[in-house]
Amino acid sequence: MHWGRWFAAAVILALLALLARAFALGQIEWPYVARFLTVPVIINGIINTVVMAVLAMALGIALGVTIAIMRLSPNPVLKSVASGYTWLFRGTPLILQLLLWFNLALVFPTLGIPGIWSGRAVDIMTPFLSALLGLGINQGAYTSEVIRAGILSVDTGQYEAAQSIGMGRLRALRRIILPQAMRVVLPPLGNEFIGMVKATSLASVIQYPEVLHNAENIYYANSRVIELLIVAGIWYLAVVSVLTPLQMLLERRFARGTTRMGR
Amino acid sequence: MTQFRIFAATALASLMAMGAAQAAALPDVIRKAGVLHLSVNATYAPMEYHDPATNQLMGLDVELGEALGKRLGVKVEWTDVAFAELIPSLATGRTDFIISGLSDRAARRETMDFIDYLKTGAQFFVMADSAAKEPADLCGKKLGTTRSTSFPGDIEAWSKKTCEAAGKPAVQYVPGENSIDVRNQMKQGRIDAAVQGSETLPYAMSNEAGKYRILGAPFTLGYQGIAFRKTDTALREAVMEALGGMIADGSYVAILGKYGLAANAVSTPLVNASPL
Repeated sequence: MHWGRWFAAAVILALLALLARAFALGQIEWPYVARFLTVPVIINGIINTVVMAVLAMALGIALGVTIAIMRLSPNPVLKSVASGYTWLFRGTPLILQLLLWFNLALVFPTLGIPGIWSGRAVDIMTPFLSALLGLGINQGAYTSEVIRAGILSVDTGQYEAAQSIGMGRLRALRRIILPQAMRVVLPPLGNEFIGMVKATSLASVIQYPEVLHNAENIYYANSRVIELLIVAGIWYLAVVSVLTPLQMLLERRFARGTTRMGR
Repeated sequence: MTQFRIFAATALASLMAMGAAQAAALPDVIRKAGVLHLSVNATYAPMEYHDPATNQLMGLDVELGEALGKRLGVKVEWTDVAFAELIPSLATGRTDFIISGLSDRAARRETMDFIDYLKTGAQFFVMADSAAKEPADLCGKKLGTTRSTSFPGDIEAWSKKTCEAAGKPAVQYVPGENSIDVRNQMKQGRIDAAVQGSETLPYAMSNEAGKYRILGAPFTLGYQGIAFRKTDTALREAVMEALGGMIADGSYVAILGKYGLAANAVSTPLVNASPL
């Protein structure tokens, strides 16, 4: 009998029960949480959160792969541009980047292609586009390091073998190196994606109507701050709880053909 | 001589009674600690803000709060919170009462009682070079304000009454994070006009001289209130008495005059008197 385990489990359960009791008896008005949990405003908010997380992550991965390849390139111009990009967008707060994109008109009042089309920056940089660019470009800087680590993790023998059958550098990357790098790249990327889902909440300050922004609007009107933040928290938890097993499935698919034990 | 002694004794006794009555009205907890804890959202010049040079907390509400504290015989300790945190701070006891540019409104009176101490109202303002000449010109245009305030509701009501009722297009409401963000959006042209409390506009205009222009008179009329928990009747009475004393001896109007808001003075402190 593992008496230690039983005892520890009992202590933990007791502490959790006390915590639950404190929350239940506190000044939090749970009927408000139930009432606002599924209102259309909150549902639209969480949909916008997930949409932005997916799109910004996609942009981040696309940029990350490009920048990682540039960083590993023998061309010094490409290398410096990639290093500079990573330095700039990892080195400044995300909230500052979001605000700069949203207020781009302070620097570029009009945007466009000379002679073809132009428009006012305030009309082009909508909350959606500003959030997408801000989150995606910031994510690209972090993803590029993850991808670079993944590429470096593939045995150099693979690249030499690809060269020996006449594959160019980019082709080798695309067909041989990157697919193998995926196994190493997926856990940190899955982690980053979960982080991105919550990083979208920063876009609330540039008026992107994701779930935190919408929950804030409700509590600005009815003063139930904690209740509405709990509503948003429940939805974030729900999304992350769905994503975590999905990440596991994806990792399993890319680990086909390799085993950690046995054959 | 005896008459004089009786008179002197009575006068002294009543003075002591008055002094005792004022101090006795304060709840024991505060009186014993000798400190009043107040939370403000110091992003709202000239009501409460940090001096850009020294980061010192300043403003009309801060001066009023300090003066009230002095009258009640206690020190005041100020903490900074976000605007949306003010009302929860009152509920949790972090703040003893709220004096922070908070409007007295019916929805808020469900959980708090207000001593109204300043006339206010929502007011439109535009960039100085805007084409709008009067509020009705704003129908169909983009209007911005701080989304954490009660102004979005005011704008919607005004739009229904003035624009849609006259067959004109409704205003488009554009949210902002705070009054600085809203003015920033107006400078860039994202919005055509903005709404702020009438008490903050003289300061904003003097801070950036010549950039803005007020459009029309305030389109809502209400009061800024000092907010108390419903159960804190003793504290509320004490503060009401102190404020009444300040109005009587002119120190209240003097503070208001310092910020150019003597016209927004109330003649007596009122409780829960806002029509909004």
